[in-house]
This record gives sequence, structure tokens and C-alpha cells, in this order.
Amino acid sequence: MTDTIFEKLATYITTEFLKQPGRILKPDEPLLSSGLVDSFHLVDLSLFVESNFGVRIDDAELNASSFDNLDQLTKFIKDRQ
Amino acid sequence: MTLALILVSILVATTLGLVVRNRGRLPLLLGICTLAVYAFQPVLPVRSLDFWLPTGTLALATLAWVLTTPQEQRSWRVNWPAAVILIGIVLVLGLTRFLGFSVYLTASRPPQTLQILAALAVVTLIAFLLTRFTKPGRAILTGAFVLIILLFIILKVPTLATLVSMGLRRLNQQATSLALAQDLRWLGFSYIAFRLLHTIRDRQSGRLPVVSLSEYVVYVIFFPGLTAGPIDRIERFVGDLRRPLTLTTDDLGESGKRLVLGLFKKFVIADVLSMIALNATNALQVHLAGWAWVLLYAYAFQLYFDFSGYTDIAIGLGRLLGIKLPENFNAPYLKPNLTQFWNNWHMTLTQWFRAYFFNPVTRALRSGKKPLPIPVVIFITQLGTMVLIGLWHGVTVNFFVWGLWHGLGLFFHNRWSELTRPRFATLSPRWQKALNVGGILVTFNFVAIGWVFFALPNLSISVNYLRVLFGLA
Repeated sequence: MTDTIFEKLATYITTEFLKQPGRILKPDEPLLSSGLVDSFHLVDLSLFVESNFGVRIDDAELNASSFDNLDQLTKFIKDRQ
Repeated sequence: MTLALILVSILVATTLGLVVRNRGRLPLLLGICTLAVYAFQPVLPVRSLDFWLPTGTLALATLAWVLTTPQEQRSWRVNWPAAVILIGIVLVLGLTRFLGFSVYLTASRPPQTLQILAALAVVTLIAFLLTRFTKPGRAILTGAFVLIILLFIILKVPTLATLVSMGLRRLNQQATSLALAQDLRWLGFSYIAFRLLHTIRDRQSGRLPVVSLSEYVVYVIFFPGLTAGPIDRIERFVGDLRRPLTLTTDDLGESGKRLVLGLFKKFVIADVLSMIALNATNALQVHLAGWAWVLLYAYAFQLYFDFSGYTDIAIGLGRLLGIKLPENFNAPYLKPNLTQFWNNWHMTLTQWFRAYFFNPVTRALRSGKKPLPIPVVIFITQLGTMVLIGLWHGVTVNFFVWGLWHGLGLFFHNRWSELTRPRFATLSPRWQKALNVGGILVTFNFVAIGWVFFALPNLSISVNYLRVLFGLA
């Protein structure tokens, strides 16, 4: 299940935001603090998480202190499911 | 804030952290923070206003706690010590008017005791009525939110602030012709208001933790962050506050480092730069483009060292008291684009605006039945956010233009980035490094040009200065 969440998130980010479908994202690669995912994409990411995994991320949680890489985001989603 | 006040703050925080530690930590912190609200308030020309504004801060914090706390958690048995401390300190400070000398805790001689008693009675009565007859429902919380925004607008719109000052002067039988917007300089209100708004919004969304009156008021008026932030989040702050204070050598070392660094940045670098930094006077005296750039760069660095120096001092003081305040700056002038700059400049303010404006508005525009095209959404939200951040500094044409400048900059950077990202990702590391350096230079200069509107008081001086900068004057 964790792998599926991770894979889906990675595919979504590389295809929709980075426009590099072949790119491999490392589990601990910083996404927000590095600027790979900007504040606008972050809202889209939260909508994607909500519709695909049934987990609502509050507006105040959309920042690097809640999650900054795929590992942390996957754990965040799993903890709320 | 003066160097003397900062040194006293360091002494107080060190004593609290090393000597008092956990014995009566919360009531002591509440007492000291309450005294600091009065001690830090600058003298104002309207009679007694420099006593009433800090009193207003305490009243707002108390009433906001009543409104945001569930009925069953507003127990008098738990919260009476905080109420006694708050009322007791206001009364004792008021009584110092009868001493023949200044105690340096209030900006000027406090008003008549009867007036203070009447004000305390009114606030206590409102708090009592709210406690007995209200639940923190949506409508009443929205009302409180709107009231704080209105108060904010009155203080930040120069014409309105001048009108209020005239009214207050008339009440005090002072000359109304001397009224100025600066008469209402309410210490720390911009930060206090944003902490209050954050707790009100989080109560509405059900995310606010239950906290006592002491914890709430200490969060709102925590003295290290009173004058210049950062704007912490209450759940994080109270988490630190509830943890027993155990200062390690690491904490002391880190605190000492941040305090020394902060004092050096603020009182050495920033104060030296201020001698040649752009201001309303020297802007009119410079006619050569080269000197105009020197003044502008000096201003850009003065602003950074001044503000980030204050933040270092706040973080260092907080650390001595067991509170790890959030960072506000992370080398913003070394970022390769404007988006990154805003992720690293006054971070707690931008995070606040993201949480309570940008994210909900973007979410609403993106998830409606007919979602707007992405560029339109980005245009609306980036411009809206940056204009609001501009107006947070003051409701003037110049701050509006400064917000617009950055909003448009962020929009164009976003579109440029969407277009070029896949292409740039395939470049060799050497080219990427060169692009990075170029990006830093372009971003810094974009931000510096924006500071022209921020530093100067009106549009005509600003436009004229831009002409000098580009050799068009």
C-alpha cells in the first residue's frame, strides 16, 4: 500500500509539475524547500491526495514543516488513512 | 527597540531560563510578557494613549481567548490566576502615577486610576457576558475576525488613523491640528493581530488546540517576538511551553550565538548601512545613476540585516525560555528566483498568507464546477496575496505598487518556469550553475528595484528615483 501511494505521488509530481515523466524522485529528495514543487502545485497536490487517498490536508498544513519529501508525504497520508 | 531594552530582555530571559527554570514558569512568563507590552510601547503624543494601547492588546487577547475556547474549558477555577495577574499588573502600573519618579515600565505617566478601573470593569464585564452566554460559534468568530481586520485598516490607512487621532485629541482637549497617523503607533499590533486571526480561523476549522488563558496570552504577547515577530503557530508554541524547561549547553550555545549575531547584524551592520541607505531625503539629493544604485543596495542590505538581526535576537531569547521560535529568513538574497526568494524572506508572514489566503482561494478556484484555467488562477492568487502582504505594511499607494510588483514578478516567474523547466533540466551541470548565478543576480536586482516603492513615501519620488537609477532623469 505504501509503495502504491509513493509510486502514484511520484508519477503525479514528475508528470504534472516537473514535466519530466522519466525522472526518478528519491524518497528523501526535498520537494518544497528546494522549489521543485511551488505553492500553487502544492494546492493541486493536496487536491490529488484528497481525491485519490481520501485524506484531507488542511490549508495550514501545506508547508515544508508538515512534509518536504515523498517519504514524509507518504507517511503523512498513511497516518491519516 | 532600543539596545537598552534588548539587553534588559536578555538579562530577564537568562534569569528565567537559568535560575527560575520550571518554578512558576507560566505565571512568571505571563507577568513579564504583560509588563513588556507596556515597557516596549513608545511614547505617543496623545495623552495616555501609550497606556491604553497596551491595555487594549491585553483586552483583545483575553477576549479572543474567551471566544476561541470551548465553553467547558473556560473554567474560572483553572484560569483565575491568569486573570488576577493581568488585572493586577494593569492596576499596579496605573498606580505608579502616584510615585514621584518614573519606573520606566510605562512610556509616560499612566492615566487616572478611576479611568483604569472603569476600563477594567468594562473588559471584565464583556468577558463575563461572553463566557456566560456564548459558544465559539461560526457567526461570532467571523464577527471577531472582521472586527480585528477593521481595527487593522483604521491603524494602517493614514487618513483614518489621522481622523481617529483627531478624535482622541479632542477628547483629551489637545490640539487637533497636530494630529498625525503616527500618533496611533500600537506596538506589535501587526503581529498580534495575525496571531489572533490565526487562532480564530483555526477555531472555525476545528484545528485549534484547547489552551488556558495564560498559555493563550503568553502566545499572543511573547516578549521576544512582540515587536518584529516571528508569527509562530499556537499549537507549536504551546507544545514548547508545556515541555519542562531543561536548558542544555547546546541550547545556551545556540542562544548565545543567535543573540551575538543578531546584535551585530542590527546595531553594527544595519546601523552603519543606514547612514547611506536610501531614504526620502537622500532620494531627492542623488542625481547620478551609480550613486543611486549604491544607496539602493545599501537599503536592501540594511533592511535585511536589521530585520533578520531582530529575528536572531527573538530566536535567541526564545531559546533561553524553552521556546524554539520559527526561522524568518534563510539567505533570501542568494535565491535563484523570486518564488524561492519569497519562500525565504519573512517566512512566517508568507506562510500565514499561504495558509489563510492563497491556499483556500486557490483550492476554491481549482475545485469549483468550472475550474478556471491555471494561468488565470495563478494570476489572481499571486497578485492578491502579494498586494495583501504589501498592504499589511500600510495601506498606501506605494505599498500597493510594491505588492503588485512582486505579484506580477511571481506570476511571470511561474509561467517562465513552466515553459523552460523541462528544457533546463537537460542542461549540463556547468550550464545549470551559470543559470543559477544569473538567476541570483536577476532576482536580487528585481527585489532591490521593488524596495524603491517600499523605502520611499510616495509614487512621484519613487518614479523619479527609478529614472535616476536608469539614467533617464
